[in-house]
Amino acid sequence: MKTKLLPAVLLVALCAGCSSMGVEPWDRDVLAREDMQLVTDPLEAATDDHIYFSKEASSGGRGFGGGGCGCN
Amino acid sequence: MTKSHRKNDRSVSATLAAATCALLGTGASAPVDAQEEPKWDFNTSFLYYGEDENRVQDASLKSIIRRLFADDKSLSIGVTVDTLTGATPSGAIRQDVAQTFTRPSGNAAYSVPAGELPLDDTFKDTRVALTANWTQPAGEKGLLSVGMSASKEYDYLHTGLNANYAHDFNNRNTTLSAGIAVARDSIEPVGGAPTPFTPMLDVGDVSNRNGDQDKDVLDVIFGVSQVISRDLVMQVNYSYSMSDGYLNNPYKVLSLVDGVTGDTLPRTTPLPPDGGPSGQFLFEGRPDERTQHSLYTQAKYNMNGKVLDVSYRYMTDDWEIDSHTMDVRYRWPIGAGSYLEPHLRFYTQSEAEFYRLSLDSSQPLPQFASSDYRLGNFDAITAGLKYGWKTRNGNDMSLRVEWYTQSGTVPAGQLIGNQAGRDNYPDLNALIVQFSYRFSQ
Amino acid sequence: MSGPAGRECQIVATEHGWAGRFRAMGSPCEVLLESGTRNQAASITSAVAAEAWRIEDKFSRYLKGNIVDQINTANGASVKVDDETANLLDFAATLYKLSDGRFDITSGVLREVWTFDGGDHIPDPSSVEAVLSRVGWSRVQWARPVLTLEPGMEIDFGGIGKEYAVDLCVAHIRDSQSGPGLVNFGGDLAISGPPMRRRAWKVAVEGTLPDAADHLIDLRQGALATSGDARRFLCRDGVRYSHILDPGTGWPVPDAPASVTVAADTCTQAGMTSTLAMLEGLGAEKFLAQQDMLHWCRR
Repeated sequence: MKTKLLPAVLLVALCAGCSSMGVEPWDRDVLAREDMQLVTDPLEAATDDHIYFSKEASSGGRGFGGGGCGCN
Repeated sequence: MTKSHRKNDRSVSATLAAATCALLGTGASAPVDAQEEPKWDFNTSFLYYGEDENRVQDASLKSIIRRLFADDKSLSIGVTVDTLTGATPSGAIRQDVAQTFTRPSGNAAYSVPAGELPLDDTFKDTRVALTANWTQPAGEKGLLSVGMSASKEYDYLHTGLNANYAHDFNNRNTTLSAGIAVARDSIEPVGGAPTPFTPMLDVGDVSNRNGDQDKDVLDVIFGVSQVISRDLVMQVNYSYSMSDGYLNNPYKVLSLVDGVTGDTLPRTTPLPPDGGPSGQFLFEGRPDERTQHSLYTQAKYNMNGKVLDVSYRYMTDDWEIDSHTMDVRYRWPIGAGSYLEPHLRFYTQSEAEFYRLSLDSSQPLPQFASSDYRLGNFDAITAGLKYGWKTRNGNDMSLRVEWYTQSGTVPAGQLIGNQAGRDNYPDLNALIVQFSYRFSQ
Repeated sequence: MSGPAGRECQIVATEHGWAGRFRAMGSPCEVLLESGTRNQAASITSAVAAEAWRIEDKFSRYLKGNIVDQINTANGASVKVDDETANLLDFAATLYKLSDGRFDITSGVLREVWTFDGGDHIPDPSSVEAVLSRVGWSRVQWARPVLTLEPGMEIDFGGIGKEYAVDLCVAHIRDSQSGPGLVNFGGDLAISGPPMRRRAWKVAVEGTLPDAADHLIDLRQGALATSGDARRFLCRDGVRYSHILDPGTGWPVPDAPASVTVAADTCTQAGMTSTLAMLEGLGAEKFLAQQDMLHWCRR
């Protein structure tokens, strides 16, 4: 499948460009805030992951959930 | 002690701040960020999920308890209890006449009025799920996490293990992570799993049932997160998921219809006294393997205290389902410790290769078929608002209300005869209300 | 925290980077740095120590010839002060008003009758009265840049100096762009920013009582300062006399807490807030609650 190559290429390109980007340690004040974390509310994220896993054909993306269920 | 004639003690800190600026000869300093390290963190939420038209309703209590140990190690235990009630589409199509169906247990029958979407309200269920996770630093730049998960409901058992490793590079600006999860699930359908493409039988007849089934799932995820600037961080994840085993929904059927009228074929024998199906319905059958690939990307952008969270996910699998998910959240701080967060999510998926609205009796049966609306072609929108605030003790509370709506279309070529005039797709409208409380000590 | 005596710096490697140690203002001092080479850490520590010793020498009441000595021996004459001293005097004046007269930099002379050495020697009221006649900022003429004290009065920057020095040194680290650092002068500390490798600087707030558990604080921005009398108190007939003196009465503030620790944007703010809280005596907790700052108050 051609689409398999695209994610790999994107990841490599991102890594190659990564070494020049970023901030100095003393500029991390904003990034340290709770609302700037990639998952701010783990409970809400887990709840949403479960709802959409039960009602749609796609799942995850962010990480692992708590596992499957017999959701109808 | 002399009585204080101070007008307002709050102005002490303001005056002191101004005086300090003058003394140090600097502008206003960055606000202090100090927190007593909590040893315990309790995060609990109550969720209500309710679909309209007597469909699924779920009340759920979820709790994650985390204990922090010295040296940044932590143990996290999660418990969720769901109580589900309500009805779910059985997969059969509407008819202009009343219909009857045998319940999945095979012990009783139920009827559906003319013109209504056949819903099976058999499952009133309670589900209990447990997760446990141990996280610890690995070296100076690594983080290792291992965990297990398990859940039980009356017809389903899930057990799983997972592990994840993340490593920081470039002064913690870049993080690479890799994770793996394996699961073994047991499906114990009420009455036993039916053989695919065999008909729904009369009450008391479970001759086409096969007992319990298993499925295995393997998930692998690779991710990169990158700090772009002081206000922007991004993440890209690639996931691969492989399911193997019993992937059918044991309770769902397809209506077997006439090749010209598109109406469900009536039963060929008289209805027995205990009841049975009024027409011909075949149990669905899906492939016993499914491979999914997902690409997920997210950006969090700080705009002067307000945070924009945008994410996009593309999923494709070997059932020929493609989906796009776009999620936008905007956190807007108001007052001290409170915020408003509107949320918008767009989702669209294309149908599985074997998705059928119904089975055409004048054609040979396909190898796989399912009319499960969750494998169909539909768009979904979620729109919601979350309000968060801090209690007197500095603990977090939040309330969110969201509306989730799905509307699907049957691929044009699949509509036969009278089906074209009907509303065939079981559109979904659900209300989501979640109240959360988090406290640390 | 053991360290060098005299005026020398010591650099040691730590789990998370470097620690530069020296002694200043009567306290063990420490500069924690995460990144860079040993030489870079040594150079920053030297600069910080130089600044701390400069402030100590300029404002110490023990050194002959410095500006404080000139002011305290002027015997009624006016003294013209430089900008830095003028800033400190302005700050002291503001704090005098803010504390309704309880924070008074002219109250240092009371140490002539009070010696807080853990013993039980309480001065007799008449000697306290005698010294009290030489205390009172309201009697000072301060018209920037000219300061005029009445004969016999003295000023003492002891209550402001250490926290002020911490803030200046942290600003130096921030400006030097050498990575995040923590400056700790005997428990009064500030950070230049969140650390590089961990989520936060971890600071332990010690208990004054032997069996009191440490509080562990995650510091990502700002400063911490403690006012406490762990080693400086008097105890007689079962009554503990704190070293926080009320300039109005000449006696220790009754029912002052044993220690107050405050987290604030700068070390100066943290230190002054904890001092003001101690001066409130019984009302310390109420005062701290009203400031809406993270704090720990021990009795």
